[in-house]
Amino acid sequence: MKFKTLFSYGLILSCTSILADEFREEDRHFTLKVQPLLSEKCNGCHGDDAEKIKGGLNMLTREDLIRGGEEWGDEVLVPGDAKKSFLIETVKWADPDWEMPPKENDRLTKEQIADLEKWIEDGVAWPEESVQLAIRKAAAEEAVTEEGMIVQTSGGLGDEWTYRRYNPEDLWAFQKLVRPDVPQPNPTVLNDGSHPVSSNPVDAFLEAKWAESGVKPAAQASPGTLIRRATRDLTGLPPTAEEIDHFQKSWEKNSEAAWSELIDRLLVSPRYGERWAQHWLDVARYADTGGMSNDYERSNAWRYRDYVIRAFNEDKPYDEFVLEQLAGDELVDRSLRERLQGDYQAYVKGRQEGNYLPEEAEKIIATGFLRMGPWDPAMVKREEARQLYLDDVVNSVGQTFLSTTMRCFKCHDHKFDPLPTRDYYRFYAAFAGTQMAERAVPFLPEENRDGFEESREMSKELLDFARAEVKTLTNKREKAARAWFQENGLDYVSHADRKELPDHVKPPRHVGLSVEEQGQLKVREQDVWIWERRLDRYEPLAQTVYNGPDPKFLNARKLRMSGNPNINWRPESHILTGGALEAKGEAVTPGVLSALGVPVQGASEDDPYQIPDAIEGRRLALAQWIAHPENPLTARSFVNRVWQQHFGQALAGNPNNFGVKGKKPTHPELLDWLAADFVENGWTLKRLHRLIMTSRAYRLAAEHPRREYLAAEDPENQWLAYFPTRRLTAEEIRDSLLAITGELETDAGGLPIKPEINMEVALQPRMIQFSLAPAYQPDPIPERRNRRTIYAYRVRGMADPFLELFNQPNPNDSCEVRDSAAVSPQAFTLLNSDQITDRSIAFAKSLREEATDLETQIGNAFRRTLGRAPDGIEKKRLGRYVREMTDYHRGVEPEAPVYPTEITRSLVEEFSGDTFEYEEILPAFRNYQPDLKARDVDAETRALADLCLLLFNANEFVYVY
Amino acid sequence: MKSPICSRPISTATSRREFIYGLGATLGGVAMTDMLAAESPLAVKKPMLPAKAKNVIMLFMEGGPSQVDTFDPKPKLQELHKQESKRTAGLATGFRFYVGSPFGSRKVGNAGLEMSDQWVHMADPEVADELCNYRGCQAESLNHPEALFHMNTGSRLGGDPAVGSWATYGLGSVNQNLPGYVVMTELALPQGGSRNWSNGFLPAHYQGTRLRPEGSPILDLDSQSFKSREHQRRALDELAFLNQKHAAENPQHEALAARMENYELAYRMQMEVPGVVDVESEPEYIKEMYGMGKKETETFGKQCLLARRLVEKGVRFVQIFSGGWDSHDYLERGHSARIRSVDQGMAALIKDLKQRGMLDDTLVIWTGEFGRTPDNNRRGGVYSLGRGHNVDAMTMLFAGGGVKKGAVVGATDEIGAEAVECVHPIRDVHCTILQLLGLDDNKLTYFHGGRYKQLSQFGGQVIPELIG
Repeated sequence: MKFKTLFSYGLILSCTSILADEFREEDRHFTLKVQPLLSEKCNGCHGDDAEKIKGGLNMLTREDLIRGGEEWGDEVLVPGDAKKSFLIETVKWADPDWEMPPKENDRLTKEQIADLEKWIEDGVAWPEESVQLAIRKAAAEEAVTEEGMIVQTSGGLGDEWTYRRYNPEDLWAFQKLVRPDVPQPNPTVLNDGSHPVSSNPVDAFLEAKWAESGVKPAAQASPGTLIRRATRDLTGLPPTAEEIDHFQKSWEKNSEAAWSELIDRLLVSPRYGERWAQHWLDVARYADTGGMSNDYERSNAWRYRDYVIRAFNEDKPYDEFVLEQLAGDELVDRSLRERLQGDYQAYVKGRQEGNYLPEEAEKIIATGFLRMGPWDPAMVKREEARQLYLDDVVNSVGQTFLSTTMRCFKCHDHKFDPLPTRDYYRFYAAFAGTQMAERAVPFLPEENRDGFEESREMSKELLDFARAEVKTLTNKREKAARAWFQENGLDYVSHADRKELPDHVKPPRHVGLSVEEQGQLKVREQDVWIWERRLDRYEPLAQTVYNGPDPKFLNARKLRMSGNPNINWRPESHILTGGALEAKGEAVTPGVLSALGVPVQGASEDDPYQIPDAIEGRRLALAQWIAHPENPLTARSFVNRVWQQHFGQALAGNPNNFGVKGKKPTHPELLDWLAADFVENGWTLKRLHRLIMTSRAYRLAAEHPRREYLAAEDPENQWLAYFPTRRLTAEEIRDSLLAITGELETDAGGLPIKPEINMEVALQPRMIQFSLAPAYQPDPIPERRNRRTIYAYRVRGMADPFLELFNQPNPNDSCEVRDSAAVSPQAFTLLNSDQITDRSIAFAKSLREEATDLETQIGNAFRRTLGRAPDGIEKKRLGRYVREMTDYHRGVEPEAPVYPTEITRSLVEEFSGDTFEYEEILPAFRNYQPDLKARDVDAETRALADLCLLLFNANEFVYVY
Repeated sequence: MKSPICSRPISTATSRREFIYGLGATLGGVAMTDMLAAESPLAVKKPMLPAKAKNVIMLFMEGGPSQVDTFDPKPKLQELHKQESKRTAGLATGFRFYVGSPFGSRKVGNAGLEMSDQWVHMADPEVADELCNYRGCQAESLNHPEALFHMNTGSRLGGDPAVGSWATYGLGSVNQNLPGYVVMTELALPQGGSRNWSNGFLPAHYQGTRLRPEGSPILDLDSQSFKSREHQRRALDELAFLNQKHAAENPQHEALAARMENYELAYRMQMEVPGVVDVESEPEYIKEMYGMGKKETETFGKQCLLARRLVEKGVRFVQIFSGGWDSHDYLERGHSARIRSVDQGMAALIKDLKQRGMLDDTLVIWTGEFGRTPDNNRRGGVYSLGRGHNVDAMTMLFAGGGVKKGAVVGATDEIGAEAVECVHPIRDVHCTILQLLGLDDNKLTYFHGGRYKQLSQFGGQVIPELIG
């Protein structure tokens, strides 16, 4: 491949082009600005397809355009008078009936409209083709002109795209990462005596913006607010009353030391990894099932979840984190080969059996990242199922690590970014041999295998039950079949063997079974698959990938690695025109995004962005390119996400899209400085947390004396003149409740826990292919089910309704930022659900054990929930409330909960169109240990629980300041 | 910096608006001022275009009803019954044979619409002459959840907002004490579950609320059984005391008021929902008309009646899922029973809406996620009389809401294998539904992930032939 223009980044000249001398300015304006605009925005409906010209208006030639269309004639374009030209009205969307181009996405920018106006005012120049060509050719020689810059790429599908010009500011994220100088402190803003002196570069950059806008930052937040903010931020849990007291005392002695000590303490807490891994899993789309029609369990997905938690807790350098998730399998297979010193047979065997050292196992588990998307090939052609997987992986890798939405250049060259569709398919080729599989990978000593025995027993019981039911039904069928053969004077042929026989020499398909039994058999057979598959949970398997040809059959139920590494095999890779499998275009080699100007290590000068062709190592080369210190997107992407979690809003507002259409950074130098600093200091995250959290900006109050002025001048709080408030996430609400009541179990990792969820939802039937999904059975013992939410079983086809209501994201899509809309069903669940009621009872019981008098109990309830003592009015009013509610509860008797050990299911059967019923067993409820219930406690405790419930619902509890 | 002039939502956003509507709200750039004035995210918004329909009731036949056995009969297929088929479309492999419809067919009503003889109530001229049968739609995904997602959300990936979410986002809803978008299913959730009525990237106010067929109609709507209504009211008053005090101490935090208001709204909903869902309070003849009281028709009939009540009470978009249409085998039994279960309820709904003068501005849609093949493969080694999944042809009904009456639009080939006239992808049907509601798909957008997203994904066409 040849790269046609030379161009270096960072070179942005404001030059007057030499071209001006050779060509008429009007002709240049048309050719370089107007013509591309018409071609991109108008000609699709007004000329490209001669058969379908909308409104009769052809815009391909000057004459046609001036002639006009059916409803609008020569008023469309009046040379020399933009005001009279209706074209300008339409592109301004001034007339609601004539808004052009009609799509919001295609609307012209102010600059583009001005270009059109200038063109019309100047007399509608339209040089002939040869002149246009000459102008374009001359322009292409100039990398940077006042029209923008050309970006060197592997080339678009047409020259027009290849030589397209970009506003350099739009490509901020593609520019080389250079550490900017830290601005000098401004003695009139932050360091004017109102705050303790700051030497933190974060403050220096923010201060520049404050100075420019004439707004001073808010005061420092109170120590009580600060410990809540930091503890929630780093651990996702509220600080205990003791922690608050301790912090406030240290703060009084030496506030700086207290703050720094607090951050250090929180960063070494195992709870830190559990909180920050969640942010990563939101982006990676973690779930324990595969979604789609079968929603099969991905039984060992938890190993990836735990890997991410460990990575955060151990402060794994981010570049390693990237390599392991994209190419961990390639790294370890390489090290296995090296260990075995070229003994190929031993290597094949070791790979199949999973003879990996713990440090190798860790890496291959990490590559589970490439298994995170929803996928099921049922009823999809094999090639298409592969394409669905690869498109999903390519997009996920782009969004996650490069903040680039890859989907946008799958069918055509990118409409806005310098990303040719060729690069999409080069990137795609890097994954072309990537196959999903459950691979043998030994358990690590640090992997928690608690509950394996109990859980396996229950899975086996459910499997045995399903098998026995199948047996009963098939015995009945075969008994009838024998009778049929006998009646017809034929020898009995088994069910499997008679499949291919003609209809007249065998009994009817479901002989001997009623329509109802036919349906039951189908459900039970499906259950056998489900529970057989579930036994994978207890095997040393990891949901990961390997390299090789596409398997003959794809079935999400079971994906195992081919024994033959087949290293000589090469996938064919093409540009797929319009994204269609049938439309194979030009062949491509694997490669990276050329527009970044970062070569692949060791690649030739001819094509510096090409990845070696060998089937092993493609992903590693790609991962090394992503994790390369020179890659301008990688560090910016990650640092931006980290900032977003600390401040609730990212510096660049679309963390999954740094392209032309993504939001531009509010503080570009700050982002670049942080990113460069991050890379130079070994990509370590905990250092970055410290840097950000020790800034003054992180410690500002959420209130600002000039809030009204700011609401007008900076409605989105981009200047960060005060600290943004946020609502707790779904996981934080559940975890905090358990922590406050004292029920939280801090055991970490392992098999997904099954918390209690709304019982109606747990038992509600849910369609999967051919059948109903088994009921959700919570863990029978509180010690298991009351662990943190990150460990909870995440089923794509069925969200925990509590978490879903509080905006836990859909795991089918990468979530760059969580919604926190307040909807009324949230109130229902926080007031009425069994879960919240149980928490309130547990809390009340604990409060009553802690102190005997009501006033102390109320005080403790406030401290544990809100982190502060109640004031006099609160004490008085709520004390009266609890006493009156005690009277109320003396008069009522709560019901005992009922836990069904079996349930009758009904399903509409395709065989009959009628509903049929069957029994499902629920072994979890046989020896179920419920949480403490209202019925188990006295009226005083229930009344105190009423108060606890109020606190759980209070705004003060759900918002972090 | 180049900024597109359509970036209005970004440049003029206030945190209040963001809180209520989300960061990307645009609504075609027209309704922004209305939105800023509006109190609730579900407040009624003016349509962008002259609207023919105000509300939608969508009857979703999960599994994929067969066009040739319902509303697109093909006598030619009867002749080919059990003859070998050489079709290779879709996933067809191995020996295949044609399956003639087990049902007869006839023309009904003054307009002479064709339908299989299994439809009894729908054949009533009073109903049939209201129908517009569309035979030109083509789906894209061959399996249920992807196809369901596509028909419901415009994307087969299952993460985008549902049609009902877009409609309530664009128009709001009349009754602020009820959800704007209500979904009813059978006991079992359809494949893909609640993603079929998800708000996707739109703010959560626009998600479909499922009215449950058993137990509490909305999850946790009722307080615990040991807590009385008065107990609840008192708790809310105490909560309001705590929240007001907190709001007074944090006067700059605007989200607090909205969250407080939500508790009051929840309380009002608690009061209103039980009355709305109480279909038993309807007169006997109405219940009878919908087929209530008969086992076969009870579930769907009751849901149809409830749909009418909800629309009457000011709910914008109602969707009913009815499963069991996936007849790979035993087509005669399967489809006959499914048709019987929905026939009476559908017909009653159309008649009832008409009698109440509601049909003119209520669009009723009947559809599955795809159609079925004219042929089948052997199953378990025998000729199984059923049909596979077909993305090339399907059948839909529209009634009311400004669509043509007594009309057939589009056509399939002589065996119902493929749409051949007035052929349109699902996105065009979506654009048409929006158009009838006075919404322009190209303008009903939401800025998400770096681009303006729309129901049709990248734009589609309105199908003018469907519009009356």
